[in-house]
Amino acid sequence: MFKYQLLKNIRNAGFLFWSLIFPLALMTAMYLSFGGVYNMMNSIDPIKAVVVTEDEGEFATGFQELVRSMADKDADEYYFDLSGNMNLEQAEESIKSGENKVLFVVKDNDIEIYLSNDHTSSAAIVSKAVADSYKNKYEIIREALSRDPKAAMAILEEASDIREYTQPNKGVFSGDPNMYSWYFYSSLVMGIFFNANGGTAIVSELKADVSCEAMRLSASPAKKGKLIVSSFLAYLVIAVVINMIQLVVMRNVFNISLGNDILKLILFVVAANIFSISFGIICGIIFRGTRDNRANKTTAVIMLSVFLSGEMINTLPGNFERICPIVNDINPATIMNMAFYRMALYNADLDFYTNMAKIAAVSLIFIIISAIILRREKYASL
Amino acid sequence: MSEILKVSGLVKRYKELIALDNVNLSVKEGEIFGLLGPNGSGKSTTINCVLSLLEFDKGEITIFGKNMAPKAYDIKKEIGVVPQEVAVYDTLTVYENIDFFCGLYIKDKKERAKCVQDAIDFVALNDFVKFRPKKLSGGLKRRLNIACGIAHKPKLIFFDEPTVAVDPQSRNKILEGIEQLRKSGATIVYTSHYMEEVEQLCDRILIIDKGHVIAEGTIDELKGMIKKSEIITIETAGLDEDVMGRINDLSNVFYSEYKNGVLKVEAGAGKHNVIDIVNILQDSGYSMKKIFSEQPTLNDVFLELTGKELRDD
Repeated sequence: MFKYQLLKNIRNAGFLFWSLIFPLALMTAMYLSFGGVYNMMNSIDPIKAVVVTEDEGEFATGFQELVRSMADKDADEYYFDLSGNMNLEQAEESIKSGENKVLFVVKDNDIEIYLSNDHTSSAAIVSKAVADSYKNKYEIIREALSRDPKAAMAILEEASDIREYTQPNKGVFSGDPNMYSWYFYSSLVMGIFFNANGGTAIVSELKADVSCEAMRLSASPAKKGKLIVSSFLAYLVIAVVINMIQLVVMRNVFNISLGNDILKLILFVVAANIFSISFGIICGIIFRGTRDNRANKTTAVIMLSVFLSGEMINTLPGNFERICPIVNDINPATIMNMAFYRMALYNADLDFYTNMAKIAAVSLIFIIISAIILRREKYASL
Repeated sequence: MSEILKVSGLVKRYKELIALDNVNLSVKEGEIFGLLGPNGSGKSTTINCVLSLLEFDKGEITIFGKNMAPKAYDIKKEIGVVPQEVAVYDTLTVYENIDFFCGLYIKDKKERAKCVQDAIDFVALNDFVKFRPKKLSGGLKRRLNIACGIAHKPKLIFFDEPTVAVDPQSRNKILEGIEQLRKSGATIVYTSHYMEEVEQLCDRILIIDKGHVIAEGTIDELKGMIKKSEIITIETAGLDEDVMGRINDLSNVFYSEYKNGVLKVEAGAGKHNVIDIVNILQDSGYSMKKIFSEQPTLNDVFLELTGKELRDD
């Protein structure tokens, strides 16, 4: 039975279009429109820099140590590509020739910055931010440096706004979120959410007043529960495979970050699909009418949810966050979108478990309600 | 012959509308039982109640001597259904459709494969096993519909108007197939509004109209229920009123008319109706070109019992 349920879905052109092709087409359109700009903005290379200290005081050695820690190539993030020891003359020469882009000269508890002619704006901003923050937070940073250079770097990052120039903000709706990635995840979520149509189809295929195939099924000795589980699993397997294809395309073709923990991402894809299919089942039960009627109504709900999550107007979720945050909190597409975005970009463990719990709880509620209603319908309601 | 299906006092209401009003019927083992009535008469409603697809308000349904209910899986195992509409999946091939529906009844793969092949042979779809239903003609789709309903070799098969919108050739094949199924031991309940099919196929017939059972019995029994038992048509020229009067005076004749050189007489049961009329015409010196004697049809039965035509198409 399961084999044929799978075959039915694989050959269902409508299902494949909405779940696989349509989201990929939107992603492609986005990539062709803005992909070049995004890739340019995100390719911030470490800044070639040199530090020259003209005294041996704690201020100077502390700064040297801080910049060295910010140039550690083994760290997850590093901002500088630091040249070896140079005297002031050699350092100035390297700036003139463009070999280095930034020269820090530390003297009398002060830091002077010299930039090469071909420096980038981000090199200027980041260098200034580092120097200013060090001067302002010198006491705290020096104390932290004595314990752990990374702790000092974290304080500096906190005190300055250098992260804004090197990676997207942590807050999705505050500041300047990475709307390019958000759009891709939104398209992925749309594909996942369109799988809800599978759930609606499960109900339609079981109701003899909706489809004539259901009459055969209802008249047969096959148990309703078994039919539902087998259809559910068939839709789930195909939906997850479709999303895996989309994730591979997102990463390898569109260069969208999927984060470091692919297993968690896959787990979330599975959970999100369970949610979507069970949501579709609930829609199939609630909505009345023909098979097409039910499918159309489910699609309308999906479209609305995806629209409110910012698929078309990417500022919408941010506006809701300010005016009426509950819209984001109850919109399934926004919840899933936010989950993928944060998981992929920040590897936030707490977020992963919270979102998984949210999605699993709602899915469970949907499944229990569906099971109760469908079990109560002993007759085929012709 | 034992009783396979028994329906007693079946009542189904849709709010104010009474769809079935105290329907009683009994189907015996090995027979083809016809359910005849115009569209909307309650045939399909009766079948759906019998199959536990539809909840009913009153009555009792027993199949194979057991009470039928939505969870009577042991009874359902022995039942086959051929719905009015073609109930197959467009995304599966002919073979896959039959195998899928057969798989709802038979788990053993080897046994199922044989049943599926038998069903394909039975409906002669061997050349189309890899086709999707969309590529089949209307008649072939109907045959696939039948194969899906009978592949598991059920003891009791319900055919709900299986020949609607089917070409004459496919219709004959379907009717031959049903006769063959009966010969192989199946009991068949056949619903239709085509009286010729029912007359050709069924051993016993129940006529239903507006949810009421109008009559039940064999074809002869049903025809015996009405006054008219013979329709005589004679082509003759210039018949006068005297002769018409003599024909009307015959004891079995209850209706006669003469139009455009054709005499039509309806007579009750009697062995010599044709001879009596021919004798009168010969005595009066009339020559006759063609003489027909017909038995009344089920439509005549329906017309006499309900006052309206059975056929609505």
